[in-house]
Amino acid sequence: MSVIPDTVAVARASARTRAARDWRDLVYPAVAIAVLLAAWQGASVAGWLRPVQFPPPTRLATSFVELVTEGYPEGIALFTHVAITLQRILLGYAIAVALAVPLGLVVGRSPALDALTDPVASFARSIATLSLLPLAVVWFGTGEAAKVFLIGYGCFWVMFSNVVAAVKSVDPTLVQAARTMDVAGTALFRQVVLPAALPRIFSGARVALGVGFMVIVGAEMIGTIRGLGALIMEARTFYRTDITMVGMAVIGVLGFAIAWGLERLEAKWLPWQARESRRGA
Amino acid sequence: MKVSRKALGIAGAAGVLVAWELSARFLWRDAQVLPSPTQAIASAASVLTFRELAEHVGASLWRIAAGFALGAAAGTLLGVASGWYVPLARFVRPFVEILRPIPPLAWIPIAIVWFGIGEASKVFVIFLGAFFPIFTNAWRGMRSIPPVLLAAARTMDVDGPALLFKVAIPAALPDISTGLRVGFGLSFGILVAAELIAAERGMGFLVMNSRMLGQLGVAVFAILLIGVVTLVADGALAFGLKKLLGPRGAR
Repeated sequence: MSVIPDTVAVARASARTRAARDWRDLVYPAVAIAVLLAAWQGASVAGWLRPVQFPPPTRLATSFVELVTEGYPEGIALFTHVAITLQRILLGYAIAVALAVPLGLVVGRSPALDALTDPVASFARSIATLSLLPLAVVWFGTGEAAKVFLIGYGCFWVMFSNVVAAVKSVDPTLVQAARTMDVAGTALFRQVVLPAALPRIFSGARVALGVGFMVIVGAEMIGTIRGLGALIMEARTFYRTDITMVGMAVIGVLGFAIAWGLERLEAKWLPWQARESRRGA
Repeated sequence: MKVSRKALGIAGAAGVLVAWELSARFLWRDAQVLPSPTQAIASAASVLTFRELAEHVGASLWRIAAGFALGAAAGTLLGVASGWYVPLARFVRPFVEILRPIPPLAWIPIAIVWFGIGEASKVFVIFLGAFFPIFTNAWRGMRSIPPVLLAAARTMDVDGPALLFKVAIPAALPDISTGLRVGFGLSFGILVAAELIAAERGMGFLVMNSRMLGQLGVAVFAILLIGVVTLVADGALAFGLKKLLGPRGAR
């Protein structure tokens, strides 16, 4: 489910393939987008497109300003929606990572534990996270906790599987070499296994964040009016397609920004591996 | 060792089920909060006929099949074409790159505006979910064909359509098949969400509706059913791809 992390990876890949910079790579896309926007605007002015279905680009621009200054629904500004969505994602994600990394490290090191948990983990991953929404509401009520739970669930299993796979892929000679030097117990984990597994763990972390982003948009569409998912659904209910489209654009930008931020963190923390794990993602 | 790994896996799954069963019956003791697996199956059996159940599963699978088939066809065609023909990529990729960071679920409201609340809007959202990874992987696969391969074929006078169909596409197949599997997995998650939000049939609807009727057991049963159907369908796709492309093509 690496929708978001892929964006940056592909952008980078394309940057690499056009080693010789070609002016057409910049001009053609710009022209294509400009033509599309102009045609959209023209068709709206001419009355060929129904504004309820395709509000013209100029309308979207004013709606964006309205969303920032006045907010939608009345009084809930764009910034609030973004902040609430981010807060839910980060909380659920942090809990999932905090649980999945230690558990995954232990399970990945033990063939028996791995065999024991593998089917359960595959099954848990196969359950569409959002289908748990009704249960989450029963257990945690309609408030924040239910949404955080869903994000946590979705992120946890992706993260867990990636950490287990990462640990299993650690070169056994590394571990043996460390053992011959009397490194054992937690020191073995901290100083050998974790650093060697880190690149794959990191790429798992990016995929998991993409999952969290996907889950939150769906979870917010039910039973709340705050958050970006709620914004676009609420706007649709009241035929404010312009607001829905602006909201989608904001979600897209946010997704791109998150992926880009993680990419930078990875490049900073794991400069020697950033390229490798990007491929594996 | 292999056999014991399988046995351990079964033991692990059985352990989870037994722990769930026992804690639901003796700790929570409230099937409206945490139904046990057997309670879930019993309540599903008492509420649903087999025929109704088959209809829900069938409705979901039909949506997946339609949306995924469209997404796979469009994604593979456009991806391969833009990977092969650079000027096309200059027009197609900007739009794909702009739209791709938007999670497919965020398209649900606009899909309802464009296509109504019927089948078309769900198929559209699933189509989008499948399209982006399939396009991206197909494009990437075409772009990462070793140039030597193409040059070698050209020295043997293989060019034009033959070069594309006999050399380039086979070389890109592993990536294309990765994209198909990723897209298929996404389709399921999206399907359930789309059915939770607006549907009157399907597995996602069954979960939501049972909860609203206060039949939590049926909801739990439906959730487990989604997991089983997803696993089976994914396995079937992996098997089909392997048969179709050979062990080298599907990884």
